[in-house]
Amino acid sequence: MPVSSNSKSGRYNHSRDEDLPPQKVYPLRDLAPTTQPEYISTDYSENVPIAIDLGKSETRVGLVNGAMPSHRFPTIVSRYRDRKLTKTLTIVGNDIYLEPSVKSSSKSPFDGNLVTNWDYVESILDYSLAHLGVSSSGFVNNPILLTEIVGAPQSHRRNMYQLLFEAYQVPKVVSGIDSLFSFYANSGRDGLVIGTGHEATHIIPVLDGKGILNECKRIDWGGNSAVNYLQRSLNLKYPYFPSKFTNSQIDYLIKDHCYISTDFDQEMRSYLDMDVLEQKDVCVEAPFTEVIKPQKTEEELRLETEKRKESGRLLQEMARKKRLEKLVQKEQEFEYFSKIRNEIANTSKKHILNTLITEGFDDEADFKKYMTNLEKSLKRARNQDVGEDEGPAAETNNFPLVDIPDDQLDEDEIKEKRKQRLMKSNFEARQRAKEEKLAEQKRKEEEELKDKRFRETDLNGWIAEKRSQLQVILNKKKERKKLKEELNNRKSHAAQQRMKNIASLASDDKNGVDSINSNRRRRNQNATIDNDPNDTFGANDDDWAIYRDIGENAEQESEFEEEEDTKILKIEQELLEYDPNFTVEDTMANNFNWRNSVVHKFLRGPRPFNQEDSHEQHRIHLNVERIKVPEIMFQPSSIAGIDQAGIIEISENIIWNRLSDEKRYEVCKDIFITGGQGYFQNFEERLYTEFRSFLPVGTELKIRKAENPTLDAWRGMSLWSKTPECEKSYISKQDYEEMGPDYIKEHNLGNFAN
Amino acid sequence: MSLVIDLVEISDLTTRPQVFKNPNWRSPTRRHKPLKNLLSDEQKRINLLNQDPDKKANFPNNVNYFSIQAPPSLKPGKNYCDITGLPSNYKAPSSGLKFYNLEVYEIVKNMTAGIDQQYLALRNANVVLR
Repeated sequence: MPVSSNSKSGRYNHSRDEDLPPQKVYPLRDLAPTTQPEYISTDYSENVPIAIDLGKSETRVGLVNGAMPSHRFPTIVSRYRDRKLTKTLTIVGNDIYLEPSVKSSSKSPFDGNLVTNWDYVESILDYSLAHLGVSSSGFVNNPILLTEIVGAPQSHRRNMYQLLFEAYQVPKVVSGIDSLFSFYANSGRDGLVIGTGHEATHIIPVLDGKGILNECKRIDWGGNSAVNYLQRSLNLKYPYFPSKFTNSQIDYLIKDHCYISTDFDQEMRSYLDMDVLEQKDVCVEAPFTEVIKPQKTEEELRLETEKRKESGRLLQEMARKKRLEKLVQKEQEFEYFSKIRNEIANTSKKHILNTLITEGFDDEADFKKYMTNLEKSLKRARNQDVGEDEGPAAETNNFPLVDIPDDQLDEDEIKEKRKQRLMKSNFEARQRAKEEKLAEQKRKEEEELKDKRFRETDLNGWIAEKRSQLQVILNKKKERKKLKEELNNRKSHAAQQRMKNIASLASDDKNGVDSINSNRRRRNQNATIDNDPNDTFGANDDDWAIYRDIGENAEQESEFEEEEDTKILKIEQELLEYDPNFTVEDTMANNFNWRNSVVHKFLRGPRPFNQEDSHEQHRIHLNVERIKVPEIMFQPSSIAGIDQAGIIEISENIIWNRLSDEKRYEVCKDIFITGGQGYFQNFEERLYTEFRSFLPVGTELKIRKAENPTLDAWRGMSLWSKTPECEKSYISKQDYEEMGPDYIKEHNLGNFAN
Repeated sequence: MSLVIDLVEISDLTTRPQVFKNPNWRSPTRRHKPLKNLLSDEQKRINLLNQDPDKKANFPNNVNYFSIQAPPSLKPGKNYCDITGLPSNYKAPSSGLKFYNLEVYEIVKNMTAGIDQQYLALRNANVVLR
């Protein structure tokens, strides 16, 4: 396999990362606080119908002689307790955003699809009518048009009529379905209306301008469900995100960045590929106040580094001295015990044992073990930096007093001798260390030379050997990781084996006592580990040493791993240099390359992540979510676990199984999208391809969106109020008093009596 | 004009005795019903209606809140990774989480207790103790 020079140069990941241009960062939008209280209309006139679209997210109210609703506000009420005035204030709609403390206590009269709190509805109606400027006294002399959901419960209508007829004494009321009003506003006759609201999505076939509610279906998924879904997803995606996402922030994220995929599975599959991600990943930064560190002058910095250097040097000096002292001590020890070893080499076994026991060893094996350990540590200590270069070279042979016996010296000289002896041993220790180091270096050089010769004479053999070495280390690493994982699971074989070891270790330690104990234990069958009276573990402090013996030593382990990693790195470096088939892609470091990490790309987008950067800490990346959240309308059960079919399947079922042959194709000519989620990009395109897939070739198919998906329901009411059909459908106050609250007149755009 | 006075004024616009309201109107007490009760009351009403053939004849189109609920899908569902959302073929035996590849599985495997349930809750597959 030929190697391109490209892959080799790809080794330098850092330079590649620097080549990437900075990603565009969007601010995390939130609702701007309102600055002005809601205005009061001045053009109120009696007898003109008032259309009220009491939506789950937004209420639109206005006299029908306007082109647009004169008042639009979120359907929320805040009962705010003002502590200073000891008064509870009732704030409605946009005015809630005047003051943040009011916002936090705001609530909706709706729970899911339905109104549950009629006190709030009354407040909203009071507020609406007051702002419309209604001035008649004792009654409201305007017909009222209302929106309702499909199949509204009777209690809903009863409460509404009670309010309107009894509290406001309106002359007449008519209610209809919001998405049908929207269809009407867009002059639809036959069609399939897809109304995607705040809490639910309704699909209603319409024939000759009449909603066929028998065939209507509701999917319990709407804009608000999407907000909740994304909020929960993001909280799981960024569990340590420094700030909390508010509902309105999430709402803006969906509105600004989500879109409907025309081919979901295809697009999803490649979404986290680098080139695709580069285009589609959206980086959003939450607002935060940056902490600016006080800048230091150059002089201060210089002084600081100098100080640091100085103290570091002192510390190093001290450490070196200490190491030297230790080394000397060890050498003396070694010397002493070597002497003993030589002395006892040719004596009887009994004598050996006696000498060793007086020296504090258990037996000969113990002594041998101690000696080999000592030798090893001596070797290691010699290889450490003990300052062999700076020993006073002049004094090399200047220890005249050392060899003179004490009795020939006076007191001062004895002191001097002691000093000289110490210096001598220090000097000798340094010398030996130097030699040891030289030998080590030589050995290494020889090894390298040998390696080189091997490589030059038999490249393939060399490669094979290096590779197998690498493999062995990697396998060991893997094995250890696996073992560690298994130990995490209490039930795994490895963990149980470990527990067995612990148990046997514990019983070994107090062998003598245990045999008696086990006898007693047999007698006392009821004893458990918690209440066994014979269990004396812990009475003796040494018992706890068992945990030290079996516990994993984290420090040692990490040291070991570090050593292993340098070994791997070295072999990889060599292979990279000489093995034509070994490329950067094969190295271990490459496995940790963020470009290859799906999780990194999912969390951090197509850029490396710098944990220290406070900007990056406050950034989220939207990628798969951009198409996943809107997709729930099409696959509610697969993605969000809603046990209902999606828009397409429901539509297909309505068109094929619920409509007559001639009407079926009429409906296909006008597939109509309305409601808040209708704003999603590509909605028509997606519906077009999906509908094509189940319709016969050549079927006339047209998909369109409401001119204004959120306001057209109100516009429809306004238009419809001027038709004779509307006049016929009003329920007057008299009807209400005679027939009761359950009475309704059926019309094309309204609910059926039920 | 301070903001506090502002709010009182705004509140007053809604809560004052409105001239256009029936002076004899008294708001009924307890007009708040949880959604659950609301729905069960409606269900009861419909059940009663269905038992009475005379009344039922008056309402040939029995369209109500429950009858228009969309049915479950008849098509096989697709599998998506619970963490990344990518198409997935694998399912962790311990938690039931779906995952995209080995790298994601490392996360699934080492997940803190409870987090896996939160992921499952996103698609209503979590264990609910009652």
